[in-house]
Amino acid sequence: MEFKHKTPLLDQLETGPWPSFVTDIKQEAESRKKNEKNIEYQIPVDCCEDLLGVLELSYVHKRTHWKHGGIVGVFGYGGGVIGRYCDQPEMFPGVAHFHTLRVNQPAGHFYTTEYLEKLCDLWERRGSGLTNMHGSTGDIIFLGTTTEQLEEIFYEMTHNLDQDLGGSGSNLRTPSDCMGESMCEFACYDTQALCYDLTMEYQDELHRPAFPYKFKFKFDGCPNCCVASIARADLSFIGIWRDDIRIDQEAVKAYVGGELVPNAGAHAGRDWGKFDIQKEVIDLCPTKCMRWDGEKLEINNPECTRCMHCINVMPRALRIGNDRGVCLLAGAKAPILHGAQMSTLIVPFMKVEEPYDEIKELIEKLWDWWMEEGLNRERLGELMKRQGFQKLLEVTGLKPIPQMIQEPRSNPYIFWKEEEVPGGFKRDIKEFRKYHQR
Amino acid sequence: MAFISSGYDPENPLKDRITDIGPRKGSEFYPPIIKKNKGKWLYHEILEPGIIKRVAESGDELYTIRAGGCRLMSVSLIREIISIADKYCDGYVRWTTRNNVEFMVDSKEKAMSLKEDLLSRKQPGGCYKFPIGGTGAGITNIVHTQGWIHCHTPATDASGTVKATLDVLFDDFTNMKLPAKLRISMACCLNMCGAVHCSDIAILGYHRKPPMIDHEYIDKLCEIPLAIAACPTGAIKPAKVELEDGTTVKSVAVNEERCMFCGNCYTMCPSMPLADTEGDGIVLLAGGKISNRITAPKFSKVVVAFIPNETPRWPTMTETIKKMVDTYAADARKYERFGDWAERIGWEKFFEKTGLEFTHHLIDDFRDPAYYTWRQTTQFKFT
Amino acid sequence: MDEEAAKKLIVETLEKKKGKSKFYLKDFYKMLPDEKSRTVKNLVNKMVQEGMLEYWSSGSTTLYGLKGVGKQAGAEHEE
Repeated sequence: MEFKHKTPLLDQLETGPWPSFVTDIKQEAESRKKNEKNIEYQIPVDCCEDLLGVLELSYVHKRTHWKHGGIVGVFGYGGGVIGRYCDQPEMFPGVAHFHTLRVNQPAGHFYTTEYLEKLCDLWERRGSGLTNMHGSTGDIIFLGTTTEQLEEIFYEMTHNLDQDLGGSGSNLRTPSDCMGESMCEFACYDTQALCYDLTMEYQDELHRPAFPYKFKFKFDGCPNCCVASIARADLSFIGIWRDDIRIDQEAVKAYVGGELVPNAGAHAGRDWGKFDIQKEVIDLCPTKCMRWDGEKLEINNPECTRCMHCINVMPRALRIGNDRGVCLLAGAKAPILHGAQMSTLIVPFMKVEEPYDEIKELIEKLWDWWMEEGLNRERLGELMKRQGFQKLLEVTGLKPIPQMIQEPRSNPYIFWKEEEVPGGFKRDIKEFRKYHQR
Repeated sequence: MAFISSGYDPENPLKDRITDIGPRKGSEFYPPIIKKNKGKWLYHEILEPGIIKRVAESGDELYTIRAGGCRLMSVSLIREIISIADKYCDGYVRWTTRNNVEFMVDSKEKAMSLKEDLLSRKQPGGCYKFPIGGTGAGITNIVHTQGWIHCHTPATDASGTVKATLDVLFDDFTNMKLPAKLRISMACCLNMCGAVHCSDIAILGYHRKPPMIDHEYIDKLCEIPLAIAACPTGAIKPAKVELEDGTTVKSVAVNEERCMFCGNCYTMCPSMPLADTEGDGIVLLAGGKISNRITAPKFSKVVVAFIPNETPRWPTMTETIKKMVDTYAADARKYERFGDWAERIGWEKFFEKTGLEFTHHLIDDFRDPAYYTWRQTTQFKFT
Repeated sequence: MDEEAAKKLIVETLEKKKGKSKFYLKDFYKMLPDEKSRTVKNLVNKMVQEGMLEYWSSGSTTLYGLKGVGKQAGAEHEE
């Protein structure tokens, strides 16, 4: 099909084995142009063609042609819409105003086709028909519509799809989770249930800015951390257990004997030689808490730090323990401004039980502190760094334990508080002078 | 095109307004086999790249077929996914955290016929629509940001760099022959709305020039105090500037030495654009991870300070990435993640083996933590 | 301070600011130093709901300003 703009550079991305986004946008452009279903398009029919046009121009100039817009949104919500304007609106009128909506994804990114179809119908009619499945935060992203359509989309979404927007700006960001118990045997708690519950509990914070900056919850079912909570969430929920790894000794022997495929088949593409339990499991254990005598596998469980390696290698022989819960870490963020931070452990273990009061209590204590003391655009992790771990303990009432640290401080510069020193700081110089000359 | 009202009344926005209803509950979208076996899965096994068998305590078997794809997806393509899911999966489908589509069926036979069907679907240019893979010791889909397609501060394109990279590494998507899994992520500017800072390999767009200032218009289009406040390093201050016609206007001055090229001022103020043809390009980082497996999660390190934007396929960037992946694949031990390998052999060996050039830009000079990245021991290797 | 008086104080304070129309939440804390930050947060969000204030979002952070005031609207061709 002949399109409005020639795109010789983008066309070069239409070959090779990996799916081409250029071909896909062209497909949508063609579908809109033909309009076989007689859809009453509510934004310019040629928006996909103009999007290809402006992208081609960026490939020529090697510069973006978009501007940010901060005002647009749906009434009463501080997040969920990102304003975008093209800086060549005369050349590409179809994308002159081309705003993004963040749509709060269902937990685990599970869908029925019936629901997906409704999403498609809505977005085809009132938007560009282009999406991200999904954005970095986990949301369904609707890519490109006009200002007039924002309220219409929100109205249809809330009335007909029972569906709300996600977060942006200084809001609680759309919480996201791993597949958890839905499909994975490593999940130590129901990530999707907790994610949904906290999302609903904190709808106000999600839609109306409450904080000095963004705040993210992410829920990983186990220390393999498939949603990267430890690297990007202000509060990371990582599933762990505190009892013993369950061992099926027969299955261990089957791995050793070669009847079972190690690593659940993850290394099957290369000949790594016969599976060697000593070399591949026992010797790689970070705490060296395992022993194999040729007959029996032993794990010294109190020494185990639950790195998941042995379980990942022999999933049919080793299973997570039964006393499961969540380990809470706080303060992760991407590098801007002072550098990247991982989350820091603040609660080693907590049971995950509805209605999750203990978790909510902790969240609210952290928020109260951060709302009061956080500087503009300061993430929780930066506040922790600026005011210190002592302050975090104070506001949360958490007890200091060695699990919270990598190592004790190497400087002795402890800022003792007056109440910590017998007699306090007020002293009598006259009394002192009785025994010490001036 | 006639305007069609949804029912929303702009004169009375609060009429019938529904808010704060949150997302659809994921559990209402679970296939019956998942509803039944949730929390009771026994083990999983990757039968072949992209196809995982999951067995529940009940004996039920679930087969998932993982198909890579573009995170930028048209509704036409989603409708095709819908028709596939209707045909094979009783109307259920899911996405993974790394933008793969996952089809779920309850028997191996169905999985195999679905596989055949998926691989037969090609785009007109010959690209697969649904390449199968992304499991085990290989690479999976590259998570990424918007880039030139929709963002105002990108220093490169996201979809294009990702497509070019995945074409080059395609073999490692459909196979499982690396020493461990290798996660690649892409963010198109240093704000990293896609947090790439803990990836085995990270592709990062980077600007190298401070913003320009449109003195004639800045005071008309922007609120100068907001542009000043937007700067995270305090590099912007108010200034009076004389235009060519002799009039004096209110504007700003940028302390260029302090600018970290983040574009936050441009977000607030369109009169301070910073995108530049020669200035912008790619930084490559490597050696990060998020899993706690064997070693602790760690940050990626900058291994290439700058690669120009070579549209449309970024050959220097993809060749460099390929070289890193191939060196790692040949040299690392089984189970060793990219960063664990680099640390074991030592970063000096990393540069020797990969042939990447070590330059002064790779030595950290940003704030306090920099000191601790320098070597404070006599233990090192000659290269 | 009662709610109406607080709203009035906020509007008057914002009207006095010259050259800048968008403010962080913390700026509002300073206008009402005796109120809890959560109370102030709820109040300014309510004022948005009532049409006195509006949000401006950078995507990563959110600012507040008097509705329709400032140069952004013109720059974004939305007025």
